[in-house]
Amino acid sequence: MTDATSNAPAAAPAPAHHASLLTESPLMKKRNAAEARFKMYGVIAISIGLIFLIFLATSILRNGIPAFTQTVVKVDFTLTQDQFDEAESKMLKTAAYTSIFIENITAQFKERGLDVEFDGDTIERLMGKVGGDLRSFYREDTSRIGQSVTLELPAASRVERYLQGQLTREMVVDGRFLEVADLDVVDAMVDAGILGSAFDWNFITGTDTGVDNPGGAGIGASVIGSFFMMVVVLLLSLPIGVAASIYLEEFAPKNRFTDLIEVNISNLAAVPSIVFGILGLAVFIQFAHLPQSAPLVGGLVLTLMTLPTIVISTRASLKSVPPSIRDAALGVGASKMQSVFHHVLPLAMPGILTGTIIGLAQALGETAPLLLIGMVGYVAREYPDGLASGLLDPNSAMPAQIYTWAARSDEAFFEKAWGGIIILLMFLLTMNIIAIILRRRFERRW
Amino acid sequence: MNDMTPIDRKMSTMQDTKISARKEQVYYGDNHAIKDVDVDIDDKTVTAFIGPSGCGKSTFLRCINRMNDTIDVARVVGDIRIDDEDIYDPKVDPVQLRAKVGMVFQKPNPFPKSIYDNVAYGPKIHGLARNKAELDEIVEKSLRKAALWEEAKDRLMSPGTGLSGGQQQRLCIARAIATAPEVLLMDEPCSALDPIATAQVEELIDELRQSFSVVIVTHSMQQAARVSQKTAFFHLGSLVEYDDTDKIFTNPQDPRTESYISGRIG
Repeated sequence: MTDATSNAPAAAPAPAHHASLLTESPLMKKRNAAEARFKMYGVIAISIGLIFLIFLATSILRNGIPAFTQTVVKVDFTLTQDQFDEAESKMLKTAAYTSIFIENITAQFKERGLDVEFDGDTIERLMGKVGGDLRSFYREDTSRIGQSVTLELPAASRVERYLQGQLTREMVVDGRFLEVADLDVVDAMVDAGILGSAFDWNFITGTDTGVDNPGGAGIGASVIGSFFMMVVVLLLSLPIGVAASIYLEEFAPKNRFTDLIEVNISNLAAVPSIVFGILGLAVFIQFAHLPQSAPLVGGLVLTLMTLPTIVISTRASLKSVPPSIRDAALGVGASKMQSVFHHVLPLAMPGILTGTIIGLAQALGETAPLLLIGMVGYVAREYPDGLASGLLDPNSAMPAQIYTWAARSDEAFFEKAWGGIIILLMFLLTMNIIAIILRRRFERRW
Repeated sequence: MNDMTPIDRKMSTMQDTKISARKEQVYYGDNHAIKDVDVDIDDKTVTAFIGPSGCGKSTFLRCINRMNDTIDVARVVGDIRIDDEDIYDPKVDPVQLRAKVGMVFQKPNPFPKSIYDNVAYGPKIHGLARNKAELDEIVEKSLRKAALWEEAKDRLMSPGTGLSGGQQQRLCIARAIATAPEVLLMDEPCSALDPIATAQVEELIDELRQSFSVVIVTHSMQQAARVSQKTAFFHLGSLVEYDDTDKIFTNPQDPRTESYISGRIG
């Protein structure tokens, strides 16, 4: 009897239990709708990310690619022995070469029925110091005299921008960089078909030029500067970081002091990089009197910045090695150190390497700390000469160089900055690929 | 004459007893995990530790090769002697001790290296082989003793982690005996294995008895009955009863032992 009464209320929801699988219950509708909504949010989030990525990539490529090409004036040129002797006997030798060059161009214009008057100043504004270039070309190898050669002489970047329509006659202010009359010469050159474009190796291998010659500026010297910094960072932060993590993770007693160290390392990873910059300025330059703008100092500052990243990733990968491996090693009578170095560390290696390369990539792109130690704004006009000079002589670094270019008033440098970003990104891509390859290789070994 | 007899008796028990523990205590922080354990473990015998989960049998096992040293909060008090030498003497290097007291763990844990390297690692770090030929010999002997040679001889250079669970556990046994230990501790060596692999490992344990003193912790009373000559029953951190296996299973003295083996507690 009691059983029957207690069962009676339970009988009411029973039909819900026996509902057909084919009909949709309200709860199920709600649940499915929530899931569909969540998936949609995910797709939207990824799409937004992708759109930004595409936008970024296209704008970098569109703005940066022109930095790799340059407009050249292509002329067939013959210098006779008489002309050479005459020019060499003059007081203003390069001016003499310039006028020979002007004669040549004018002759080409005449051939096509063009009549444009211009002088050496125009040529200098359009193409830089052509006379000097010509003189050294022939003095370098006198057998070139009397032979017909095809010269490819780079034109100023303003010529290029004029041709691309970015620079119009209205924008030209006489006397500053360019005169309106110069553009007539450019038009004539176009008509004569002696303007062409060529890949600008100088952008990759060259050095910075200062504000007056955007066309000749190259990123090469700052690549070397970055390279020396990365060598310093790698040589210091990898051994120090890995040793510190192994000690903290495997050997250090777990007490309040090591907890404090742990918290502080995590916090250091989040410290703004400019703080490391000012620390570097105070310690390495003002206190230790290391030279300003030197890649060694840059490397030291970036090492400080990279260490927490390496320590954190190394500790995480040491932690992820199963304790059973440690037990196994200790169980056969390996010492603590043997168990760490023979078994734990090799297993943690892929993670350590990935962390290190991510840390290095971060350091490679870092600009703020370099501001304070004088690497930003330094005009790297020449390549370092050897190892000591590479470390100690003032140099720029890739991101610093890009920043310097972007900050210059001449708009022609803007294009160089974009081009520099392409090169920087290519280095980062290469480093990431190396990380992936190393990780694969180490994982296969085990 | 009268004086001689007790000394004689003592000498004879000394020879048979490999490990003796007196008033052994283990604390994990504030938790008193092992209380006053006195036990004498015989040489060339399989001794089984049984008892419900958390009764301290594994903890006590790990005292014998000082694996508890690796746990920061663990504190061991008391006296454990192997061949009458105090293993907790400050002069004892736990690393040396562990070469003498091999251990096989609950889950097969081969190194992620080749089968050969797994077995050769111990002899290598302890300098037991002078050259490659000797090392090869140790590896073959150990694998043969662990009944794995026939299956593994053609793939010595392939990773040990590629073996099946039972094979991995036998590899771990081979690794443990390669350092020529005198005592072999096994912490539930079959709990992760299927019945066939379990039977193989049990057979192996029986053979190992000829060369080592084997101490095995097990959850399975049947296993204890099958492989061991002596059985110790632990309950709540205390050693309740320790006697010949036959006696424990047929005629237990303590009511707690009886209720455990008849399935009422645990």
